[in-house]
Formats: sequence, structure tokens, C-alpha cells
Amino acid sequence: MRKLSLTRSLTLLGLSLTCAALTSPASAQTLTVGLDADPPRLDPALSTALVDRQVMNQIFDKMVDLDANLKVIPALATSWKVTNGGLVYTFKLKTGVKFSDGTPLDAAAVKYGLDRNRTLEGSARKNELASVKEVKVIDAQTVQLTLSQPYGPLLAVLTDRAGMIVSPTAAKKAGADFQNNPVGSGPFTFVSRVRQDNITLNANKTYWGGAPKIDKLVYRPFPDGDVRYANLLSGAVQAITPIDPKDISKLTENAKFSVLNYPGIGFQGVWFNVTRAPFNNKNLRQAVAATIDREAIAKSIFYGTVTPAAGPFPPGTPAASSAITVQKPDIAAAKKKLGGKPLSFTLLTTPGSVTTQLAQVYQAMFAQAGITAKIEQVEFGTLLDRADKHDFDALMLGWSGRPDPDGNIYDFFVTGGSNNQAGYSNKTVDSLLSKARAQNAMAARVATYNVALGTILSDTPYTWVYYQRNLVASVKGMTGLKPIPDGILRFKDVDLK
Amino acid sequence: MAVFALRRLLSAIPTLLIVTIIVFAMVKLLPGDPARLILGQEATPQALAEVRRSLGLDRPLPQQYLSWLTGAVRLDFGTSLTDNSSVGRLIAQKLPVTLELALFAMLISLLISLPAGIISAVKRNTWVDRALTLLALSGISLPNFFLGILLIYLFSIRLAWIPASGYTSLLENPGRNLLLLLLPAITLGIGSAAVLTRYLRSSLSETLTQDYVRTAHAKGLSVGQVTAKHALKNALIPFLTAFGLQLGGLLGGAVITEQIFSIPGFGRLLVDAVFTRDLPVIQGVVLVSAVAVFLVSFLVDLGYAAVDPRIRYH
Repeated sequence: MRKLSLTRSLTLLGLSLTCAALTSPASAQTLTVGLDADPPRLDPALSTALVDRQVMNQIFDKMVDLDANLKVIPALATSWKVTNGGLVYTFKLKTGVKFSDGTPLDAAAVKYGLDRNRTLEGSARKNELASVKEVKVIDAQTVQLTLSQPYGPLLAVLTDRAGMIVSPTAAKKAGADFQNNPVGSGPFTFVSRVRQDNITLNANKTYWGGAPKIDKLVYRPFPDGDVRYANLLSGAVQAITPIDPKDISKLTENAKFSVLNYPGIGFQGVWFNVTRAPFNNKNLRQAVAATIDREAIAKSIFYGTVTPAAGPFPPGTPAASSAITVQKPDIAAAKKKLGGKPLSFTLLTTPGSVTTQLAQVYQAMFAQAGITAKIEQVEFGTLLDRADKHDFDALMLGWSGRPDPDGNIYDFFVTGGSNNQAGYSNKTVDSLLSKARAQNAMAARVATYNVALGTILSDTPYTWVYYQRNLVASVKGMTGLKPIPDGILRFKDVDLK
Repeated sequence: MAVFALRRLLSAIPTLLIVTIIVFAMVKLLPGDPARLILGQEATPQALAEVRRSLGLDRPLPQQYLSWLTGAVRLDFGTSLTDNSSVGRLIAQKLPVTLELALFAMLISLLISLPAGIISAVKRNTWVDRALTLLALSGISLPNFFLGILLIYLFSIRLAWIPASGYTSLLENPGRNLLLLLLPAITLGIGSAAVLTRYLRSSLSETLTQDYVRTAHAKGLSVGQVTAKHALKNALIPFLTAFGLQLGGLLGGAVITEQIFSIPGFGRLLVDAVFTRDLPVIQGVVLVSAVAVFLVSFLVDLGYAAVDPRIRYH
């Protein structure tokens, strides 16, 4: 009897809890998005993580934006003129724009924002804006940037964090805490964040481009792909990005969800440390690169959700060239390059199911040519540390990509570049990459990049393996998301039915 | 009793100091530079130097440690290297979450382990005992991440009774708070219940074979009376010890379970801080966890005296 009443009261408790949860207020206009990490810093100057951009793009307006074809389109700047051989950029600003704190977004605010990005202590934008010598207010709606040397990628750089304009009043008031209380002029306004739990934004009802269709946008971090997937299935979130490759087909077949799968602008591959043996020998680098079957990797590990890579410029990006083709595996050529000598080395990578699988597949592919690779897995901080110190043989590391070709090649292969993990140095490449940077016409720049790339491909300090694609899964009722290749989801026009 | 409590409290101070020195040294020995992790792949040497300076990482290590320690004494744990938020505030945000989850899990664990352990001991070597042993061993061997995902699949996706993840504070919405913590608490509780059941079974089995228990039976008391009134109290000491250890472990944060159910507790805060080498956060969390573990073991010691009058503290 006693047992029965215990069971009964537990059931009742369970039922009442369920009811309490079901009756709790939940607006139909709230869209919850599952991300793969908790965005660390919501300040355009200080941000360094890709995932920060997902949230900041809703809070801040940028000088210019990108369309689905990576063309630079007006945003805060309605038009611009490039004069003096690429040394002067004059931007006309949209009128009547206000920050969510009510202060006006005029030329003075733009100057403050750009100068803050250029000079704030610890700003990660300094490198991107290094060519800017001065930001001048011409009149309330006109801003002029004077460069110390022509810098072709400038407009593309302004489509990202470097071009996000913060409210001067809020930034001055908050100081170092601005990242925890960001104020911009974007389609959504920051409400609150609980670290490792959620970031909540409200629609900016007075947005100059029209109010967003949803009322509230909530971001929640789920580092584990299975957990992200489970939360989408259970209805706890309405959209997730990225999706684990193994879950794509299940989601595509599920009538309740739709999958958006569109090209990205980044790449993945393997670095060779050219500063020490064994990979200070070009033949050995080429031998390893020749064993990799990029098609097989795209199919077997990523279920066709990535594209085999030929170089740093994915198809559809401005510098992609059909003359540079995906390297086919050639075991005989690899053996010839080895010259009958044994090669063994350590392949450094991070833990994680997909990277582990990939490392093991590489290992098997290398073995076909008699190359022995030992896999060493360290967490990301250690990996970056060892990359900086050139303390590795080969290293698996990729790049999220930038809309301008410069962002996918310059810092990677120029001598002493911040992303030059190989320790690679080639005077011809250095001068070509600097030349391309200073050119203004995209056609001329693309030609220069591809000449430099020819040398880099032959020297093989890095071997490209695949281009990642942007993968977003959402409930069927979510509409209006545009596939912009930079992978940032813009929620202004997104609706939820 | 008061003198004992005071002595125990004072003796904890050197232990906690050693803990902070060890943690500080260990984090400093780890490869990976916080400035590099903040700046990520885009770091230029100038930017790195600037960030290091702004975070105070260019100061000598003893100076960094001492300035942290003098702050901690005043309950000022500094600010996070990642986002400049106050570590004290972060801890105040996460501690109640972890505390509640740990207590909820231990409650579930008690509800399972007390009856299961007693039945197993009283009916030892029968099929009931073997079945419970099998269940307990399954509970011990079942990894949290598997059990967690299994529960989500069953209760959140198939039956759609309970949300898969999230957290609402107890004060804001008690019903939703308990509902959201139910699956993670079960996940943690089952593993711990399995361990506690085994402890209780073995200690109670041993007690039940003692002479005074036989005497009690001879006096004509029922099995229930003998077990509950005479044997159980004596058998509870190892059980309490194990209970304290389990609870202490949970107070440091249940990393995997918090990850699976997206609970913003101590475990996730600590893991994120370790991955970003956010030393002030690591130090703060470890110190508070160490204090919590100390308090639990202190309460367990007091608990000994309560269940076993032979134990006296002076």
C-alpha cells in the first residue's frame, strides 16, 4: 500500500512538473539557435573567434556587407569612391541611423569605431587595418580613410569585424566591459548573456532596414555535435550550425527539418614544418601530399559534405582558378620522391571524433607509400603553442576563410606571417603577395595570387585537402535565411511559422 | 564540539593554500599561452605582447600569484582573462547550479541505494541480491555520456516529456528548474547509487553476521526491526564516507553531464577556463570547490558522531 502511494505521488510530481514546463511562457516569435561554442568576446575590436561573428553580426551594422556571390554591397555606407591610386576611400553614410541606445550613428561615430578597432589595446583588428593612416570626418554623412599604401582587401575587411561600428557613448562608458554589454545599431539588440548557457537578443523594432520578423533571438552553445543534434530533434532549438557530417542524411530525410548546405570560403589541410628534418626536404613534402586521396576523404569521412581542395581559394571565390586542379593520389610518384628511403614522422592534431578519423585515414594513405606517421593529439591551445614554436613535423590545421583572397594566403605564406606555421620563406612569394595586396583591380590581383600560388604548390609547405561547406539545419517553418558564403547567419529577414 | 569544528576549519587553511599553489604552478606549466588562445590563429607578435601586458601576464610569477592571493583573501578573485567579467560573479552564478544539481543527484542516489543496499544485504546470496548486484554493476559501468544521451533520446525526443537541455533558476520557475535538472540528476544519481549500493551491501552484510545482531534476533525481534534499529546504524559509517566522497566529487562540477544537458555549472566553467588558460577563473573555481569538498567532509565527520554514539569528538 505504502509502495503504491509512493509510486503514485512520484507520478503526480512528474506530471505536475511536465505541466509546469509546458505552461511556462514561450513566445512563438523566439528563435533559438544552437552553436558549437560559447562566443568568447562580443566586441568587434577584441573578438578573435569565428563564433563571435555569428552574434555580433546581429548586434552591429558594418560599413559594407557581402552578398551570396561575395560581392561587396552597401550597408552603413551607401556608396564609396576609391581615389588617389587606391590611397583614399571616401564613404557616404546612410542618414538617420541610430544606435540602440538612441545616439546617432554619424561620421563621427564611424571615425570613433574604426579608430577604436585600429588602436584599442589588445585589438585583434590592428593587422587588418594596418594600412589605414587616418580616418577623417568630412561632414556628418561622409567619412574618408587615407591609407599609407594601397590595400586591395580593405573593403572586404570592412565586411567583417573591422567594419562594425560600436556606439561611442556605450563603448566609452563600459570600457573593458563593453564586450559584456555591446551596443550597436544592428537588427537585434543585446539583452543578456549567461556564460556557457545563452546569449539573448531582442529585435530592434526601429531598425533602419525594417524590424526583424522574429521578436527574440537566443544563442545557446552545444560543443558536442550529438547534443546539438538531439536538441534540434527535441525542439529545444529551432536551428543549429554546424551539423556533424554523419547527421546530414538523417536530417535531410526527416520531414520536420530542412538542411541548408552551401559553399564556404575556408580550407583544411596539413602543414609541413620546413624548418627541420624530415620536411626541410621538399621531395618528402611532395611525397606525403601525393599519397592523399582527397576525393575518398570527402566521400568516406564527410559523406560528400566537403569539396576536395586544390589550393587556398575555394570554387566561387574571386581568386579560384580552374587551372589549379585537385591533386590525384599517385603512390608510385610518392615512392619515387622518397627515393627508396624510409620516412617516418609525427602528425600533430587535436582530439575530436572527426579529426581522429581523418588522422587515421591520412595514416593509412601515407602507409601505402611506405610512410610511417605517428598520430599525436593535443588540445587546441597546445597545438597553437607548438605551431608557433615550429615544434612539430606535420600539423593538421585549417582556416575559416576570408572573402578577399588576401585573407586566405598572405599571412600563411609570407615570411614571418602570423599564420605561417610551416616557417616557410620564399622571396619571390613574398614580393608577389605584397604586390597583389597593393593592386586595386581584382583581375590583376587574382593573376598575381595565382602566380605566387604556383610556387607555393610546388614548394608544398602546406597541402590542401578539402573545403568545408556551411551546414545549417532548421525546423521546416524557418524561412528567409540567405546562404552567404562567409558562414555568418543573418537573422534580420528570418521568419518562424 | 565547537573546539573541534574550529580546529578542523583552521587546519584547512594550509591545505587550501597548497591547493592554490599547485593549481597555479600546474596551469603555468601547461603549454599554451592565454594571450595566444585569446588572439587565436590571427595573432601577430605585437598583438601578443600587447595582450600579455594588458592581462598582466608579463609580470613575474610570484608577483602574479601574490596579487591573486591578496585579492582572494578579500574575496576578490580577479577578472576573467577571456571577457573581463568578475570571477567572483561567475562563481556566484555557477555555484548554486552545481550545488543544486549535486544535491538533487545525491537525493536520487539515496532513494535508490538505501533500499537496494539493505535488500541486497538482508537477502544476500539469493536471486534478489544477484539481480541487484547486476544492476549496480551496470550502473557503475554505464558511462555518463551514454546514459545521458539515452535519457535525452527516450524522454526528450521519443516521449517529448522533458526538454533536452537548459537551465532555469529555482527562484525564477521552480517547476521548470526541477524538470530541467531531472535527467542530469538521474544520470549522475544512477552512477553514484550503484557505488553506494555496493558499499551499503558489504558493510551491512558484515554487521548482520555479528553477535549482537544474533542476540537481537534471539530476543524475538523481527528482521525489519533488527536491520533498521540495530544493524543499519553501525553499517552506515562506510556508507556515509562514500556518500561524502561522491558528493564532494560532484561539487567540483560534473563536466560530462553538464556538457550533455547544457547546464551552466562549475564543470563547464572550469573546462572552458582550462582550454583558454583563464587562470583567474581556474584558481577561483578550484579554490571554491576545495572549500566545498572540505565542508562536505567536515559534515560527514559530524555525521559519524550522529549515527554512532561511540564516536566522540572533544
